[in-house]
Amino acid sequence: MKNLWCVLLFLLVVSHAVAGDDWDPNEAEELLQTKWDVIASVLRNKDLDQKAKASQIDKIIDPIFDFALMGKLALGRKHWPKLTLEEREKFTQLFTKRLKVSYTEKIKLYTDEKAILKPAIQKKKAVHIPMELIGKEKKVVILYKLHHRDKYWKIYDVEIQGVSILLTYRSQFDDILSHSSVGDLLSQLEESQTR
Amino acid sequence: MILRELKTIAKSNHMKLFVLSMMFLVIAGSGCGVSQKSPSNHVMQASENGVDEDFDLFEEELAEQAVEIADPLEGLNRLMFNINDVLYFWVLKPCAEVYKAILPKASRISVHNFFHNLTTPVRYVNCLLQGKGKSAGTELDRFLINSTVGILGFGDPALDKWKIEPVEEDLGQTLAVCGYGDGFYLVLPLFGPSTLRDSIGMIGDLFLNPVSYVEPVEASVGVASVKITNKYSFHIGEYELLKQEALDPYVAMREIYIQYRRKQIQE
Repeated sequence: MKNLWCVLLFLLVVSHAVAGDDWDPNEAEELLQTKWDVIASVLRNKDLDQKAKASQIDKIIDPIFDFALMGKLALGRKHWPKLTLEEREKFTQLFTKRLKVSYTEKIKLYTDEKAILKPAIQKKKAVHIPMELIGKEKKVVILYKLHHRDKYWKIYDVEIQGVSILLTYRSQFDDILSHSSVGDLLSQLEESQTR
Repeated sequence: MILRELKTIAKSNHMKLFVLSMMFLVIAGSGCGVSQKSPSNHVMQASENGVDEDFDLFEEELAEQAVEIADPLEGLNRLMFNINDVLYFWVLKPCAEVYKAILPKASRISVHNFFHNLTTPVRYVNCLLQGKGKSAGTELDRFLINSTVGILGFGDPALDKWKIEPVEEDLGQTLAVCGYGDGFYLVLPLFGPSTLRDSIGMIGDLFLNPVSYVEPVEASVGVASVKITNKYSFHIGEYELLKQEALDPYVAMREIYIQYRRKQIQE
């Protein structure tokens, strides 16, 4: 009887450990493909006005981006610890809004092109999935970087033609914080939102 | 004494202890699982000093990709950036808009193809200089096909029919492959973002560009203007977007240029 219990417990421990590492990149590819199709169809839909499009896309991309992580990484180990808890919350909220607009505006340029997903590239803690958009004049590559958290795949960076959205903001934040305060950064972020 | 007692207890209750330790492991394990499962809160809950697992996981990756660029002439560069900004809105953009309105997209693509075909020597020679014999061959094939079947390069049957993709190489990239660093960041009048190395490369490439040999100089400049206008007719709105999104357009442009070039050089 005791032995049986031990075996059962052992199995429980092992299965737990294995389940924790269970992540399937194919899932990430499927996710990207379906989401892209929906986003492209919304952007191509001529019956919707700009506002309706924006709010629909907002709903589609909200669950697939890890905006909180993106905010943290955009400030980096160098600046993030300087923010108070309230500042962190405010920053994440403002930056999330901006990233959504940023992403939508960028992919708007490519919705007429044919999108082809390339095989995922396995990284240590993430998966990079390139998407090729073949246009008449040029081929554009969008690279999605995803990580696995809480059973879901989430995007934490997007590269367009090798240019990372995250790094582009990171260098700007770094530049601003090198000569101004966190408060200045937040007000600049807020200001540009109303522009 | 106590140690010996403990040993005997441990021996007699060997199985119980094993079960207990296993239970402890399970609980500890699931505890970890739970702590990871706090989706939107993980930012706010992050340890006060900010050093937590997110940074451990991704800072390294970002640091690998981030490119530092010296910008000792920032004052001058910012001035040039502003001049180019004005030139874009007052000259280039209006020209490109009118041009776009007059010529249908198909014709503009043909013009793009023509100029792209004409600058084959730049890409061919740089492929060779980088020791990419196969890529050089690709460029030669494309040139031969597009100049004949594609009628003087206005069409791109090499890509459309034979799926032969162009290889974008230039002297700046060749120099980078040879081990020359960026030097420092430079904003050139009219041409925009560059680095010391890429500027030198660009001058070198001019010698391989047939448009440079058009006489008189005015005609050469005229041809180059058509090329630039044609190019921008496909990209109206992109610079505006960059400016709209950036907190500091100058820094954003610098970062984008450096990242873009790094990617090209890697390929």
